[in-house]
Amino acid sequence: MLVEHARNLAGIADAAHAEYGPGGTPVITLLECSLQDQTITVDLAPGSLLARLYGTDRVTEATTCSYGLSPEVQHIAGEHGMRIAATDATGEVRAIERVAHPFFIGTLYQPQLRSTRGSPHPVFLGLLDAARAAM
Amino acid sequence: MRAVGVTVLIDLPADHRYNRATLAALQHASEDRRIPIDVRVVPTDAIRDASRIATPGSAVVIGPGSPYRDPDAAHEVVRKAREWNVPLVGT
Repeated sequence: MLVEHARNLAGIADAAHAEYGPGGTPVITLLECSLQDQTITVDLAPGSLLARLYGTDRVTEATTCSYGLSPEVQHIAGEHGMRIAATDATGEVRAIERVAHPFFIGTLYQPQLRSTRGSPHPVFLGLLDAARAAM
Repeated sequence: MRAVGVTVLIDLPADHRYNRATLAALQHASEDRRIPIDVRVVPTDAIRDASRIATPGSAVVIGPGSPYRDPDAAHEVVRKAREWNVPLVGT
């Protein structure tokens, strides 16, 4: 999502994901500390859709990520219609969302890993609510 | 009630735990909200036309498991969803 955002909205036409090898401007790079098979606690941005979905301002989620938004271009997550929806204890971006979109959320964690039949995940509830509202 | 079409872009094998967790999370939400869903799993290298995936009235989930086989095709689906206000979550 951030590569598409960088290329088509943020003016970084050669934006690239470092996992695919050298070349271009790497906007997604290897995390200094891998989040593979860990949990992270993130602070949700006040007023964000993500915060409304969770109904709280801090959550702990499972993550399998080894790559994230490059520290060099963290600013693009808050520009050109994108908003930073969650940050971790280091202040780095862990979720994004588009401001003028009914539901456009990207997470650097995996909400589906915490969903259960008795406790469906709010992100997936929100996704279906938004799709139904558009029908 | 008409079912919500949900496309899951994921390149992992069907029995991979991330794949299973993604489909289960959709099912949990569907049951909780009583919103019927029609889910199709599409590997990124099987995307032929992004405009037939991010269609109005549908939803898109980008599952975990990069590197994707065809990241540019996935980016095109993201672009269509962004431009056409199609609900999308990328995990």
